[in-house]
Amino acid sequence: MEKVKKKIGSFSFWNWVTASIIFRLILIYFPKNLNLSSRPEVSTPLTSFRRLAEGYWLKQSFMSPYAGSMYHGSPLLLSLLGPLTINRIEGQPNHLLYSLVSVIADVVSAMLIRATGQNLRLAYLRSLESLDLVKQIEVSGDIAALIYLCNPFTIVACVGLSTSPIENMAVILCLYGACSRLIPLAAFGWVIATHLSLYSAILIIPVIFLLGCGPDSPPRKLFLQRHQQKEVLNQSKLPPRFSWGPVIHFAFWAFLWSVYVLVLCGISLKQFGGLWEMFKSTYGFILTVEDLSPNIGVLWYFFAEVFEFFRNFFLIVFHVNILFMILPLAIRLRHRPCYLAFVYVAICSMLKSYPSVGDSALYLGLLGWFVNELADMQFSLFLFCGYVGVSLLSPVMHNLWIWRGTGNANFYFATAMVYACLQIVLVVEGVSAMLNHDRKLRNLITGKPQDAKS
Amino acid sequence: MAETKEKSLSDEKPKPRVRPIVRLGIFLISHSFHFSVVCCTAGVLALFLLPVLAKNTYISENALMPGSASPMLSNQHVSDGNRLVKDLTNPNSKSSETGIESHKIIAQYMLDLGAEVSFHKFHPQMNQFHPLHFFSSPDSGKIQENYSCSSYGINTVGIIRAPHGDGKEAIVLVTPYNALKSGFGEALSLGIAYSVFSLLTQVTWLAKDIIWLVADSQYGEYAAVAAWLREYQTPKFSSLSTPNAEMCPDVNNLFELKGHSISGSKFSNSFRRAGTMASALVLKVRDQNEQFEDTISIYAEASNGQMPNLDLINVVNYLAVHRQGLRVNVEKLWSLLNSSWLKSLGEIFESLAKVAKSLYPKWKFGIPATEYVEGTATLASSLYYQALGVPTGPHGAFRDYQVDAITLEISPKFSLDKVWRNDILLRGGRLIEGVIRSVNNLLEKFHQSFFLYLLTSPSKFVSVGVYMIAFALLIAPLPMVAASLYVDANSSSNCSKGDSSTPSAITDTDEHSIAIRSWRWLNSAKLVFIVHLWGAIVSLLPYFISQIPDCSPTTSFMIWVLLSILSLLTLNSVLASPLACAKATQEKEWALVKSVTISSVFIGLGLMSVINFATAEIGALLMVPMCLLAQPLKLDVRAGTLRSFCRMICNLVLGHIAFPPAAFFLLKGMLDGFGNANVGDFWMWVESLWAWNSATYLFIGMVQLPCWVLCISILFHTC
Repeated sequence: MEKVKKKIGSFSFWNWVTASIIFRLILIYFPKNLNLSSRPEVSTPLTSFRRLAEGYWLKQSFMSPYAGSMYHGSPLLLSLLGPLTINRIEGQPNHLLYSLVSVIADVVSAMLIRATGQNLRLAYLRSLESLDLVKQIEVSGDIAALIYLCNPFTIVACVGLSTSPIENMAVILCLYGACSRLIPLAAFGWVIATHLSLYSAILIIPVIFLLGCGPDSPPRKLFLQRHQQKEVLNQSKLPPRFSWGPVIHFAFWAFLWSVYVLVLCGISLKQFGGLWEMFKSTYGFILTVEDLSPNIGVLWYFFAEVFEFFRNFFLIVFHVNILFMILPLAIRLRHRPCYLAFVYVAICSMLKSYPSVGDSALYLGLLGWFVNELADMQFSLFLFCGYVGVSLLSPVMHNLWIWRGTGNANFYFATAMVYACLQIVLVVEGVSAMLNHDRKLRNLITGKPQDAKS
Repeated sequence: MAETKEKSLSDEKPKPRVRPIVRLGIFLISHSFHFSVVCCTAGVLALFLLPVLAKNTYISENALMPGSASPMLSNQHVSDGNRLVKDLTNPNSKSSETGIESHKIIAQYMLDLGAEVSFHKFHPQMNQFHPLHFFSSPDSGKIQENYSCSSYGINTVGIIRAPHGDGKEAIVLVTPYNALKSGFGEALSLGIAYSVFSLLTQVTWLAKDIIWLVADSQYGEYAAVAAWLREYQTPKFSSLSTPNAEMCPDVNNLFELKGHSISGSKFSNSFRRAGTMASALVLKVRDQNEQFEDTISIYAEASNGQMPNLDLINVVNYLAVHRQGLRVNVEKLWSLLNSSWLKSLGEIFESLAKVAKSLYPKWKFGIPATEYVEGTATLASSLYYQALGVPTGPHGAFRDYQVDAITLEISPKFSLDKVWRNDILLRGGRLIEGVIRSVNNLLEKFHQSFFLYLLTSPSKFVSVGVYMIAFALLIAPLPMVAASLYVDANSSSNCSKGDSSTPSAITDTDEHSIAIRSWRWLNSAKLVFIVHLWGAIVSLLPYFISQIPDCSPTTSFMIWVLLSILSLLTLNSVLASPLACAKATQEKEWALVKSVTISSVFIGLGLMSVINFATAEIGALLMVPMCLLAQPLKLDVRAGTLRSFCRMICNLVLGHIAFPPAAFFLLKGMLDGFGNANVGDFWMWVESLWAWNSATYLFIGMVQLPCWVLCISILFHTC
């Protein structure tokens, strides 16, 4: 994943982009042998291609797409992607068109990540300049985009015909819009992301910060201190205060887009139970963890074990877990909204009810934005080896359990737990590295004059 | 552990209070040398202790109740079986070219008993190298081409429906039979199966259907059973099937003929099925025998070292020993039985146990030296066959469908008189009857007992919980050494920068130092990744080489070696060129490369231990010392001390031994002598591995070979 970083020196950005696209296309031509679309790591009940096709088929036969608890996605996806599930071109792999859409979604996401990264880099340079710190920094946008494109997780999710490339694109669209202050776009991205997968709703907090104060910068306190030292208060060099204007603007657009989306959904589900049916079998399905088939998350195992009587209680406990972390993180990282978004996405992909590797692909890509800030992150080798090890071990354990019959559910769940732990370590170390980075900047300004270059 | 040390070192501010776990990590890492020596020795020692630690087997599943009912197989059934044997060995039946006559006889016998009979025609499927089939489930989608009507086999299948069963479950009895050149042993095995079969048509206790498969073994026993199983488990629904056996006119004629000649309505030309298979027994009788008593050999290893549930072996062992008075055998490495060092090791363990017992009478872990040697020989063969990943008999085909199966090979003390023949028919038949009756009692599939175990004798086993300890001890040093190397490399680079390693380093205008600090391993990771990529390419090459027609094994091997070297050079020049300049700047580069290599080996070995423990264990014995000892020869030469000299010698020796072909020839030489070693042998061996989709092949190509290359590159590192 992070390996890509060094290669940039020798190969140009676009070479790698083309290489990754060609690699995807090659893989698309071997779908039978790889059988990726039936892997539990790739396709969850929410993102599975087969379920999408089933939903489309049900809808075509004038039945509710949610009948039989097969499909749990958005009705809009059915209208947009559904026809691609049955369209075939003679002599080509079965789902070529759909795969191509996934590839395009991936490339678009990568380009958006790149643009956002460039935005962030500019902001970072500007803030360093106003702190009178000189520093050469890496081109984080390119690195992040390449991490996203060349990450095996992204490739697997793309080739495995899951819908997560589309969901990821919506999230990235939202962040891009917020970073470049395209408020309608940000609102659109947020509404679509929330519509497709409920958990993206909490991204509203980083988006509000982004719109209110602008992209990531060192804490505002630092600037004040710096300028007190110099005893010249240059207002133009200070980061702007929180302004409510764009936020209200965003809320307006978000409302508009959500009404629009709901109306569209309502039209498409008019005969089949309407919006209530949709909410019940999409959001309801996510929140009540109805499907207990194994995935790389930890909830399925727990809810397979728990007594029916306590089920509701534990459902609340598990979901509140995510909500608990929102506020403290938002307070601590409010000056770095993009990083906050990364942390939220990582936490969600750890605690959500049906996680897949596509979610990991998203936050690992976003991690690339912060290569400069996280240069001192600890355990990088350990994390890297852990990710490689778990992603190899998990299919093996699954095979041992399901196909060979010599293992059992605990084998597979063990890898899921290790995976969750790795994500926790990543988030914890990432956040502490970021806070350390801020601390270092503060030390440079206040503490040690011999080190600072003023 | 890696992280704790890392954390402690890279923390710039000296913290007064260090958490105990961090302190433990620091301690482990700073003494990693001693720990690795201790752990590796303990690991090897634990491996040799396994025969001592083996436990007696026991029947874990209560429902089995072996031997609780008295056998019902009587002399009447035996004489039935005898009749079949006589008919089959009758020279008249062999007159036909295709051996179709003997199949007819068998079918007729089955029909007479009231069983449903069908023939299954199949084309022997050549084992081919499918690089991507390692990970996919058993599938029916294999496109079969180039059938010729001249080569096909016929399996005869007889099914008894259980009178009280619901037809959802079945027990399979397999007797390989080559109609063209059958020995007396094969006929006898059919006789045993027939006598059991005739009994089972009459009994009332049957709850599961009985399938008797007479597998046509003229193209190999495994192929026949596998073809039948494939047909059984994955029916083809397509109407426009590829040309198969039915399309051949002569085959059709034969079956027309058969349909007329065989009387009875229960004969059908279509494929017959019963329920899901609870378990399967493959029965063989060996022709020649040197044993002094009737023995029965159990073969259990399926592909990739999978074993059937231990309960199945237990039941057979219990019934054979305690009910039928047969000697039970499992495979041994015979060459180990006479080795003197093993004997002395056994004596040491024995005397140690005696001392322990005199100290505290409740410690009873000693076993006699001879038993130890036998246990070790059995364990070694158990490890060897599991590591090879090639099934040891037709039972292997069942394991691919999660059916527990074993092969029973009866080797009678041979004399051809009738009394003796009746005796072996009776005892063998009663054994089979007892096993079937036990399995018949099962309510669920076998799940109580172990699947992951090694046998040290038919009645002793080492479970996964015990043998994993030896393996874990062996590979425990890997993460520790990796962490310590990583920390060393990082700290030394920090020291070389002197004062600038204070927090202010971040403001260095030298932008290189910023990204490098904690991500310096990326360069090494890239090298390791490239070498592993090369390993994957090398593993794929045989697929293309095997397409070349008329290639002798030696030539193929040479082509393989040449192409591998070529691809390594190409990859290195294309992808790794920026590394060369980076290398010069970083003095401790080799330490980082070694650290990442060790991490990757750790992952690879850990992964393999889950897939096939035996391969991982043998691989770890070779690779762990090599990885841990690897250090640039230049440094050792420069140091010039005795210790570095020893290390150099070890490195050179290990560098030669751990090269996969070298290791292969060494093992082969030790087992069969060095006289007839041939370069092409390695190719043949590898070919057999990939033909059976053995994960060992992947392990060698993608873990061991890259690890060897990396270690060699560390040895010759110019630092």
